[in-house]
Order: sequence, then structure tokens, then C-alpha cells
Amino acid sequence: MGNVATWRSDLMSATEGFKRHGAHSYVAHFDETEREVILNLVEQIIELLAERVDHGHEDPLAAMVGITSHDSPPEDEVLHRLLPNAYADDVDAAEFRRYTESTLRGKKQAHAMSIRIGLKSSPEGDIELDHNGANDWLGGLNDIRLALGVRLKIENNNYEHLELLSPDDPLRGVYAVYTWLGWLQETLLAALMDEISE
Amino acid sequence: MAKLADAIEEQIQAIFSSDTPWVTIVWDDPVNLQSYVTYVFMELFGYSKAKATELMLQVHNDGKAIVSTGSREEMEHDVARLHEYGLWATLQRGDQI
Repeated sequence: MGNVATWRSDLMSATEGFKRHGAHSYVAHFDETEREVILNLVEQIIELLAERVDHGHEDPLAAMVGITSHDSPPEDEVLHRLLPNAYADDVDAAEFRRYTESTLRGKKQAHAMSIRIGLKSSPEGDIELDHNGANDWLGGLNDIRLALGVRLKIENNNYEHLELLSPDDPLRGVYAVYTWLGWLQETLLAALMDEISE
Repeated sequence: MAKLADAIEEQIQAIFSSDTPWVTIVWDDPVNLQSYVTYVFMELFGYSKAKATELMLQVHNDGKAIVSTGSREEMEHDVARLHEYGLWATLQRGDQI
């Protein structure tokens, strides 16, 4: 599983992450750069999921109940990680995907949209979440981290390698964002767990 | 005769297999945080923090863990919810692990 690296970027160090604010309420403040970074990433996820459109719906009833034309996994590596197979067996996996993939995509888009709407509606960067909102953020941030993880080729125990990238390597910036998002996710989890253990 | 016996044996197997429980397996991956995986187990399955942590550690240390057991339909539902939260999950028949 992943680790939260102790190393953080100087660029995104304004926010203190999420904190519990009374019962079932979690707040965070982001500066302009942080807000822009999250917005940009979340919009890329929304766009990426939208690229996998369902085509060839001859049967409107099938479309209505969420049966998609997709029965093979996405070729794009990131989409494949976001929409994985449910069975090791290819035939079972294809059948399951045909009936469930559009629902899964819809839920992932909803998580991302929830983050987007929250940030868009607060130019000052103040976010306040209830329990469901917190789950949307956790799932949405996680999808961004999964996507970046694929692009960064994150594998177990290769953190040292990424942390030793030269300062002008563009991947270093991506890795900084990836690490920062993990830290942010961790602050929200700590706030949620704090409430559960009471 | 041998062929017939095989066919019958196969049918008997098939009849009994409908009672075989299915399982949901979560696989280790290098991105999902330990605290996140624990939280998702608590949130989706209503597991205690202790049980969720134990399962998370099993995934982390052994590479996988069975997180729920039930009918095929129930396991499909569980896998779909785990995928919604980005965990790497599959389902399979319990006797084929």
C-alpha cells in the first residue's frame, strides 16, 4: 500500500489540510494555487471519464437501465485502473462490465463533480464538508492519486527513486502534487477517524 | 460408460455449486493509503476499526484478503462499491481460491 512521504513541496504548503469542525463537519482552507491545482486535476478526471462514452445504443431500454456498449476494459492505462475488471475470468469480467461500467463511471464523476462544485463555489478556497461530502472528496482525491500513480509508475518501494529526481525534472512536480494529495487525504481521514473513535 | 459417469458427476457438481459461497477479494496496490483502505472497509461493510485494520494489514502483508462472503449477487454489489472508492477488488467462487 501507499505511504505518505514526509517530503512536501514548498509550493503547496499554505493549507493545513482538513480539520474537524463540530459534529460531522470537516473544514479546510486552500490558497489560490492549491485550489487551482485541485480544480485542474479534478476536471481532467471528469474529462477522462467522459471520453469513455457509450456508443451504439440501438436499444433505448438498455441505455436507460445503464447497459453499456463496453464489454472490454479501457485501453488507456489510467482508465483501466479507475474502471478495473471485477473478475479474473475475461468472459465474466466482460459481462459484468457491460451491466455496471456506466454506473461506476457515473459515481466517479459524481465524486469529482462534488469536489469541483465545492471549489468553484468558494473563490476564497473555504471548504466545509458533511459526512457524504467527505466521502466524495476521499473517493475523488483517490481517483486523482490513482491516475497520477499510473503516470508516475508508482510501484512498491520506488519512492526513493522519485524523491531523487533532479529539481528540474517535470515528473518531480507531478510527484510533489501526488504526495501532497496523499497528505491532504490523510488529514481528512484523521478528522473522520477522530469522530468515529469518540 | 466412463463418459456418462463423468457427465453425471459434472451435473452433480453443478447442482451443489449453487450453494458455494462467493468471496470478495481486495488486492494490494501501491497507491491506496493504509488509513484510506481501513476507512473504506469500515464505511462500506460496517466493520469495527479493529477488524478493518486487520483486513487492511492482511492485504498489505499477504497481497490480498477476503473482505466479504455471500451470494454471487451480493459479492458483485460489494465489488462495485469497492471500485467506486478505487480499491482493487475482484470476486470469485469461494472454492476456487
